[in-house]
Amino acid sequence: MPRCYGYAGRILRINLTKNQVKIQPTEKRLITKFLGGRGFNSKRLYDEVAKDVDPLSPQNKLIFATGPLVGTAFPLGARFNVTAKSPLTGILGDSNAGGHLAAEMKFAGYDQIVIEGKSRKPVYIFIEDQEIQIENAKHLAGKDVYETTEAIKKDLADRTVQVATVGPAAENHVLYAGIFVNLARPAARTGMGTVMASKNLKAVALKGTGNIKIADPRRFWKIVEEIEEETYAHPQYWPRRTMGTTRILMLADRLGFLPTRHFTSATFQHASKVSGERLAREYNVKNRACFSCIVPCSRVYVIREGEYAGLHGEGPEYEALSSFTARVGNSNLDLALKAVDLANRLGLDAITTAECIAWAMELYEKGELTRKETDGLELTWGNGEAMLALIEKIAYRVGFGDLLADGVRRAAEKLGKGEEIAFHVKGLEIIQADPRGLKGYGLGYAVASRGADHLRSEPFVELSDDPEKGVEMFGVPEATLRLAHKGKGKLVRYFENWCAIIDSLEVCKNLAGNMELLPFDRAAEIAEAVTGFHFTEEAMFEFGERIVNLERAYLVREGIRRRDDYLPIRFLKEPLPNGNSKGAIFEMESMLDEYYAEREWNLTTGIPKAEKMRKIGLEYVVEDLRRNGIQIE
Amino acid sequence: MKRILVDVDRCSGCRLCETVCSFNNENAFGSSISRITVKKEDSIGLDLPIVCWHCNPCNALESCPTEALERNEEGLVFVNEEKCIGCEKCLETCVIGAIKLHPERKTPLICNQCGGKPLCVEKCPTKALTYTETGTKQPRPTDQVIEETLRRWRIIA
Repeated sequence: MPRCYGYAGRILRINLTKNQVKIQPTEKRLITKFLGGRGFNSKRLYDEVAKDVDPLSPQNKLIFATGPLVGTAFPLGARFNVTAKSPLTGILGDSNAGGHLAAEMKFAGYDQIVIEGKSRKPVYIFIEDQEIQIENAKHLAGKDVYETTEAIKKDLADRTVQVATVGPAAENHVLYAGIFVNLARPAARTGMGTVMASKNLKAVALKGTGNIKIADPRRFWKIVEEIEEETYAHPQYWPRRTMGTTRILMLADRLGFLPTRHFTSATFQHASKVSGERLAREYNVKNRACFSCIVPCSRVYVIREGEYAGLHGEGPEYEALSSFTARVGNSNLDLALKAVDLANRLGLDAITTAECIAWAMELYEKGELTRKETDGLELTWGNGEAMLALIEKIAYRVGFGDLLADGVRRAAEKLGKGEEIAFHVKGLEIIQADPRGLKGYGLGYAVASRGADHLRSEPFVELSDDPEKGVEMFGVPEATLRLAHKGKGKLVRYFENWCAIIDSLEVCKNLAGNMELLPFDRAAEIAEAVTGFHFTEEAMFEFGERIVNLERAYLVREGIRRRDDYLPIRFLKEPLPNGNSKGAIFEMESMLDEYYAEREWNLTTGIPKAEKMRKIGLEYVVEDLRRNGIQIE
Repeated sequence: MKRILVDVDRCSGCRLCETVCSFNNENAFGSSISRITVKKEDSIGLDLPIVCWHCNPCNALESCPTEALERNEEGLVFVNEEKCIGCEKCLETCVIGAIKLHPERKTPLICNQCGGKPLCVEKCPTKALTYTETGTKQPRPTDQVIEETLRRWRIIA
């Protein structure tokens, strides 16, 4: 194996059907075109998981990858992506998590791990440097995320091993089960845990004794020192350290985009009772951080009194907290913490779980669902006990939970009602920010390559409501006004490209993006200092273009067109009823038109144009799409 | 003498101390080649950096069958690699479990305080590590520190 800088230099393939292991070098071609992490994974998925592969069949592949900066002292986090065809959406599935697994993977010597086939018996994989063992996992069947992690550490007699595991929800084929690392850090979205369980694979345990060398240490430390200085002086430093992302809850309430009672309100009258501020004051005992990160934004909470006294854990973050409070109308913080804990242990995606529950609650409140259909549960707004019961029912596919275990799109289809209030795009449930009050984000949900999700673009500058920024960045003042719709195509394209390189370098979007610590030019500099490959600011932007367009091509091959890029009708027709974004609706058509034009995609089909694909080195994709009978302009 | 002290309430478990230590002393980033190790237990939120205290007397030094562990003029314990046979006796006898073997050299990795300016302390993002005059104070047993901490956090009653 050639000695690499930054990259581990190896790609590991494990075939569970054949019980076969292959180690290949990380090719230079892959690095110079797809950078790492998410870029590596989307490329692999496009090339190796063809159209018509059933996501839960052995032909699907589960792909982990991390990035060139991971494992070094680069101070903006250390993450990994896990990618497969999604059983929830049927298109590109992909999720990302932090913690300490990604660094361990690099120390073990791998940039990417591709898991193929399906084991005949339940197994887990133990990777210790170049020794790969496929272990019997019969004793782990049905165990939750915490129990499994502990059992594997005991089996291997090693407390330092890093474990990525699924819970019982995945084993029961709930379509939105996640893969959990460090107990409470899920790669939760799009059902990657379900794919893992479908391969009879309960967990992957990693231990690495290797190390990472870098090309230009002097330049590396100079950039790191600049970042340290900016970080410690940053206005977001202390709020993030005190509250993590939970600080968003009060902000969303104040600005009027906090989805409350299933998007029927944009403010929650009990927001302060379930806020990050309250957690910080009354529950949190200390901070934790991902590997080598200098902003310890994760918190350990302890419930000190009442029914759940003694319950403790890491987190929650904004999405899970807001999902199990405002979204379902629950004002009991202890109950919400219990719900997050339960979802983590059972191995569920909190966002999708809460959407399914809130959807059922809205139908129940409207009288379209009765107690007979809900196993006797009274699904009134804010009924926290019913919410806890439903989480368990979903994870074990019991009674009414079985309907919800396929996600909100399929639940509405099966029930034959509630389709217009099933809040998803392309089958992935919408996150906790109302698109009517945050239009760049909304456009991001509509076009994101994994379905409704903010982390593909996260155009946070529109929260500044500063028209000068819009002029400076895009020549359009409205681009950075959250309630305006003009200029959002430019905004979303730019931020999608940025997020794609952040996900490919596998650092943290909160720091690299939101705190603006890793703009394109600095990303190029640090990638160059670490890897020794030559990168420029323009090349970084182009990595983003290439990755986003390749992912779009994957969707196109699966049949996705413009018609699939629409938000649910409520956001297009019903003005926000209250709060500081009152009256806003979502101007879908004009925003999509502008975005497609920016992307050089066909306006009526949403298919990337051949000329565009050629410019960014994706000719082979154009040919492949044509072979699949798709007409390209 | 001056020692690296740990404030367990402040440690975020980011392990930046491990990575900067390995780079400063071994020219590469890797936890297996660092002289400080963060003991982590996710289920109780614990992060506890463990680093050589340079105890005097030192059990590890006294138990070394080949006298490969020595003490320098500043009172710091160090390994004479030529004498070391990699028997791991020091790993077993160190009272706080601060010693591990270099995965290739198979000799103990022991904190050298970076020659009086420990980089782990300088880079610690939460100031959980400090470099402080401690006289002849002995280190507290790890288990005792953990138990007290969990009581204080009310994770155990």
